[in-house]
Amino acid sequence: MTDKKMISLILGCMCILLSAGIAIQVRTIGGIGTSTGSNSTENQLRDAILKTKENYDNLYEALEKAEVKLETERTNATQNNSELTDLENNIKEANKQLGLTEVTGEGVIVTLNDSTVPLTGSTILSDPNDYLIHYEDIISIINELKNAGAEAISINGQRIVANSVIKCDGTVIKVNGQKIGTPFVISAIGMQETLAQVNRYYGYLWKMKNEWNLDVSFERTKNPITIPKYTGTIKFNYAQSQ
Amino acid sequence: MIVIAIILGCVIGAVIGINAPVIPYTYSTFLAIAVVAALDSVFGGIRSVLKKNFDLVVFITGFFCNSILSIALTYLGQKLNIDIYLAALLVFVGRMFTNLTIIRLHYIDKWKEAKAQKQAKPKAIEEK
Repeated sequence: MTDKKMISLILGCMCILLSAGIAIQVRTIGGIGTSTGSNSTENQLRDAILKTKENYDNLYEALEKAEVKLETERTNATQNNSELTDLENNIKEANKQLGLTEVTGEGVIVTLNDSTVPLTGSTILSDPNDYLIHYEDIISIINELKNAGAEAISINGQRIVANSVIKCDGTVIKVNGQKIGTPFVISAIGMQETLAQVNRYYGYLWKMKNEWNLDVSFERTKNPITIPKYTGTIKFNYAQSQ
Repeated sequence: MIVIAIILGCVIGAVIGINAPVIPYTYSTFLAIAVVAALDSVFGGIRSVLKKNFDLVVFITGFFCNSILSIALTYLGQKLNIDIYLAALLVFVGRMFTNLTIIRLHYIDKWKEAKAQKQAKPKAIEEK
C-alpha cells in the first residue's frame, strides 16, 4: 500500500511539472500572438524577429537602469558645489524641453477613431477613405493642441518632439518611425482651460465629429497624465551654433 | 488511486502554469523540448505498465534525465549553430508514436479477447 501511495505521489508530482510546463509554454507562445505557420522560412524569420525584439527590450531596460544610475551619480557629485548644481539643473531643463524626460501634469486626452457609421456602398459619393482617420487629421489636431499651449504631446505613447515625423504608411500611421494604429490617443499636458479650446464650436475636432461622423472624443482628465520620454536619438551633424 | 493522483496533478499543474510568470521567448524552445521529452517518458511509462515491466526508478530517472539532456543538447546546438533539437524531437516523437501503437494494440487485443469470450460463453451454456 505504501508502495502504491509512493507511486501515485511521484506520478502526481510529475503530472504537476508536465502540465505546468505545457501551460507556461502555451501562454508564452499565446502572449506573443503568433501561430506557427506552414512555411519554415517564415517561421525562422519570425523567430529571429521575436528574439531580436526581446534582446532589444532587455538592452533598453539596461540602458534605462544605467541612465538612472548616471542621474544619481551626477546628483551626488554636484551636491556640494553650487556652480555644478546650476549646470545640472540646466541639463535637466534642457532635457525636459527636448522631450528626453518623462513628464506629468494636468492636461487633456483626445481620442480619434474611425467612423462607426456603416458605409453606404450604393452611392458613388461614398468613399471609404472619408470614414477613416488620416495622418493629416492627426497633424491638424496636434497643431491645434500646440497652438493652445500644450507643453508635451504624445500619440499612443510616442512623444512628439521637434523632429518627430507623422507619416502615412498604408493602413497605419508612422510616428517617430514606429507604426501605430487606431484608436489614436493623443495626450497633451498644458493648461486645461486653453487646451479645451481645441474642442471649440466649428473647430477641427468639432468638424471631425459632426461633419465627417468620425468617432472622436475629448476628455479633460481629473488626474495628472504622464507622457513618456522620446526614445530616439537627437543628433546634429550639420547645424552648428555660432 | 493512481488515476486520481494523475488527474489531480494535471489540474494543479495547469493552475500553477496559468498563474506562473511567462518565460522569455528565447527560452521557450528549451521548455518545449523538455515538455516533449517528459511526454515521451510518460508514454513509455504507460507502455511498461501494460507490458508489466514497470520500474519506478527507471521511469523517474528517464523523466528528468531526458528533459535535462534534451535541454542541454538544444543549448549545445544553439552554440554550434545546428538544430540538434530537431533530432531530439524526431527521436522523442517517433518513440511516442511507437509507444502509442503498442498501447493501442494492447487494448485492441484485450477487446478482442473479451468479445471472443462473450461469444464463447452462451455456447458453453447450451452445451451444458
